[in-house]
Amino acid sequence: MMISGGVGGNSASSSLSSKALTASTTSLSASGKRIQREMSELNMDPPPDCSAGPKGDNLYHWVATIIGPQGTPYEGGIYFLDITFPSDYPFKPPKVVFKTRIYHCNVDTAGNLIIDILNDSWSPALTITKVLLAIRSIFTNPNPSDKPLIPGIARLYLADREKYDELAAEWTRRFAK
Amino acid sequence: MADSIATSPAPASLPRDLTKKKRTNKKLKQSKLDVRREQWLSQVKNKGCKVDSNGKDESHSSSMRIANVQNGSLDNLEIRSRGEENEGSSIHDSDLESLMNSPIGITLDHNDSSKGLTGSSSSITSSGCCSGNVSEEEEDDGCVDDWEAVADALYADDNQHKPIAESPAEPETRVESDNLEVPNHNPGVDLSKTESGKVVPESRVNCRAWRPDDACRPQSLPTLSKQHSFPMKSEWHCGRGAITWTWQRLSSQPSSCPICYEDLDVTDSSFLPCSCGFHLCLFCHKRILEADGRCPGCRKQYDQINVNMCFNERVAPFQLSRSCSMSTRF
Repeated sequence: MMISGGVGGNSASSSLSSKALTASTTSLSASGKRIQREMSELNMDPPPDCSAGPKGDNLYHWVATIIGPQGTPYEGGIYFLDITFPSDYPFKPPKVVFKTRIYHCNVDTAGNLIIDILNDSWSPALTITKVLLAIRSIFTNPNPSDKPLIPGIARLYLADREKYDELAAEWTRRFAK
Repeated sequence: MADSIATSPAPASLPRDLTKKKRTNKKLKQSKLDVRREQWLSQVKNKGCKVDSNGKDESHSSSMRIANVQNGSLDNLEIRSRGEENEGSSIHDSDLESLMNSPIGITLDHNDSSKGLTGSSSSITSSGCCSGNVSEEEEDDGCVDDWEAVADALYADDNQHKPIAESPAEPETRVESDNLEVPNHNPGVDLSKTESGKVVPESRVNCRAWRPDDACRPQSLPTLSKQHSFPMKSEWHCGRGAITWTWQRLSSQPSSCPICYEDLDVTDSSFLPCSCGFHLCLFCHKRILEADGRCPGCRKQYDQINVNMCFNERVAPFQLSRSCSMSTRF
């Protein structure tokens, strides 16, 4: 796997990756190539309201931003996320953490979020683009019923949607702008 | 073809002049092959010549017949391929004719295109072919007869007076003699000939049934028809074409592994571990099996036994076609 990955990489991308990856990782060639490709695909065809890229020179640590979708209380907010790729990516899901505070039943105060595709439903065929789109979808459609991280917000969302929207918009103004 | 002759041990009892002739034959074979084929294809349009050859052989001199017997084993391959070629060309023509003339022929061909692609041979098409052939034979019998007679005389002349020298007419006469001795001295060859005769038309018809603008026209077809120009190949065509086609049809997948983005080689491309049709390379598949063992495409658990079966089935056809192409390279 690793050997083939190293051999198969084309010269342009491999030189780039050797520059970008100062820290030598054991599975550099396999996961590194994959992440590299995802990065170029993301740049070529970025999903709406989303952007992502390596934080520094480490290909395995990314920063992503999602702009709050229109028609939601998160509208206009800019949400920063940290993405950490495991060394055995894509066989293990990336870890995504909100760096911007958000009033959402699926995101706890530490920024951890629960969506199925980042846990049990992860598939190696998923890409970071799809992950970002999935995260963006919970802005528009919070999931209060399936093990919400913050049950209080979930209850409010189900019981009093107006109040929920009001609070979420308030948090957006305070933390995401 | 030259190889097969070189490697096959020459019988010790062979007359001297015959061995010499063979040597020269070997040298000139490559250059002549093309000429001979052209001539043959231009002059012989169907297998009617074969039918006629039975009667013609009676008039041959005894020396020539002996030579034919001796040549028989060596020329086996040529005879076969040439016979197939002839038949192929004849079917080609008749098929075209039927396509143009008779609406029945067209429907038959279309039937075959759908059937033959799945690898099964259809009796409908073969019968359609046959009818086309028969009509053609009747038309062309006369001219072929004449040509054969001339060639016959030439060959007899050659054999008796200057057996060593290679006359310019050699290509034609050789073809002639090969075909003549088939029915008499080599029933085995004859059998294979008729067999291949049955096989080739199907592939031929397949080729013709597709129009260039046909949406589901298999991409293997152009090379297929091209390879007809080579001897020794024809009997593979039907099976190979069908198999290659099904293989290509089943594997309409990306050129690189969606997991690791490495290029999928042929083995990977033919590897279909899940019924959902998700393609991935063997490395990634192994990696996934070591972990949770779920298909990345549908997230269902991989079935180990099923996986292996799928793999073998997919790979086998390719190996077949590959060995086939190797054997025909010479």
